[in-house]
Amino acid sequence: MHAHHSVLCITPPHMLEQIVRNGSPEQRDFAQQTLTASTELRRKRITVIATLRTAVPTEIITGKQRTIYDAQYGSQLPGVKIRGEGDPATSDSAVNEAYDGSGFTYDLFFNIYGRNSIDNHGLKLNSTVHYQKGYDNAFWDGQQMVYGDGDEDLSPEQQLFNRFTKSLDVIGHELTHGVTQYEANLDYFRQPGALNESMSDVFGSLVRQYQRQQTADQADWIIGADLFTANVNGVGIRSMKAPGTAYDDPVLGKDPQPAHMKDYVNTIEDNGGVHINSGIPNHAFYVVAREIGGYAWEKAGLIWYKTLTDKLTTTSAFIDAANLTYQTAGEIFGTGSLEQQAVQTGWAEVGITIGGPPPSNEGCFTSVMRALGLS
Amino acid sequence: MTRIIFEQTGGVMGRRVSLSLNLDDLPQADSKSLKKLLDEADVFSLADSPASDSARDVIHYLIRIEADDGIHTLRTSDTSMPDRLRPLVQELSRLARLQQRKT
Repeated sequence: MHAHHSVLCITPPHMLEQIVRNGSPEQRDFAQQTLTASTELRRKRITVIATLRTAVPTEIITGKQRTIYDAQYGSQLPGVKIRGEGDPATSDSAVNEAYDGSGFTYDLFFNIYGRNSIDNHGLKLNSTVHYQKGYDNAFWDGQQMVYGDGDEDLSPEQQLFNRFTKSLDVIGHELTHGVTQYEANLDYFRQPGALNESMSDVFGSLVRQYQRQQTADQADWIIGADLFTANVNGVGIRSMKAPGTAYDDPVLGKDPQPAHMKDYVNTIEDNGGVHINSGIPNHAFYVVAREIGGYAWEKAGLIWYKTLTDKLTTTSAFIDAANLTYQTAGEIFGTGSLEQQAVQTGWAEVGITIGGPPPSNEGCFTSVMRALGLS
Repeated sequence: MTRIIFEQTGGVMGRRVSLSLNLDDLPQADSKSLKKLLDEADVFSLADSPASDSARDVIHYLIRIEADDGIHTLRTSDTSMPDRLRPLVQELSRLARLQQRKT
């Protein structure tokens, strides 16, 4: 399912440009995607993240400030305001789920980690529901959350996806992209991008566990457990407990996530596999939480949160996340503590050794990017 | 002859859905409808419009038109797409999802 473009990933830019000019349509597309990715990285190095951080408001707002808008199946954002903070529930389930879900997410970050909203300065939590027709996705656009209604435009027997507000962890996932944007601002490409996705899965799952008051043993560690219709052979879009097993369906194919570095997927699709290789740090977090036991948000979640907000940078790779979560665990719970040992066990179980060299199979693309001074 | 190659990738699931069709092979009404959307979008005049740096989980689209008068490939995303292109992308997405369920 996921091509390994070994020729292109060791090809210098001038050769890629040649392929764009003279290759077959398929070769041209692959070469263009690689060049676009390289250019994007180069540009990011130059523009850095200053624009994001200049958006810090002068006035700090305390408490939840939720507003839910309706795109009315169009694409204009934010759309028509339907429900503001403190307003009663409406007759629209998507509106109420977006309202409640952003509230549960705010509560986890505020009650457990002392964080005041996405930017820690009380940023308003704006969400838009009913985005476009037949839109089976949810996203963070850099300022707000956006949710589609799934495959509502197809006949019932053809529908694979429900509305995306149905899964609380997906709401937490999108909102956490905002938190990451204001903190480590991990590049959305290759390993930093997979860490970015993993952070969203980790805290998305913790929001659901916190709302249900589940311990690590009781939680299912599934992302998007409510997204699939009965037509899909699957339990959700990802499994942190067993990456690669969430679905195996004639239409959707098989869950492509690896759970170990030996199965790391080198691809230029999906921003270098950010939604695929996130299975590796996802599983590391699951193991850490399982080893520590109890409520995962209390200790494992705290270690990950402090690492995200205080230590990770835009270019952090898996080995950096491993070393920095280990360091953070030592700072919070003590050197050699059970919690720090659990962090070591978690990363070891996915093939990453604390203090060791970067895993060898991170991909030739990364090597080329490093050689070009882009990584 | 007009051939359309459409591909959408990414999203919160990181999924790929694609479609390839020849307008001449479609029933006349469907072909006429798509031709109208193509004309209204004026795809050949559009340049690539990548997603903003801070957008996450958006869907990325590739549209390639191979017509008698030229070939044009366009890359865009949910958050950066010109409004006049949206009806065409929405219809191609619907057809791609339908085809995926039939194969």
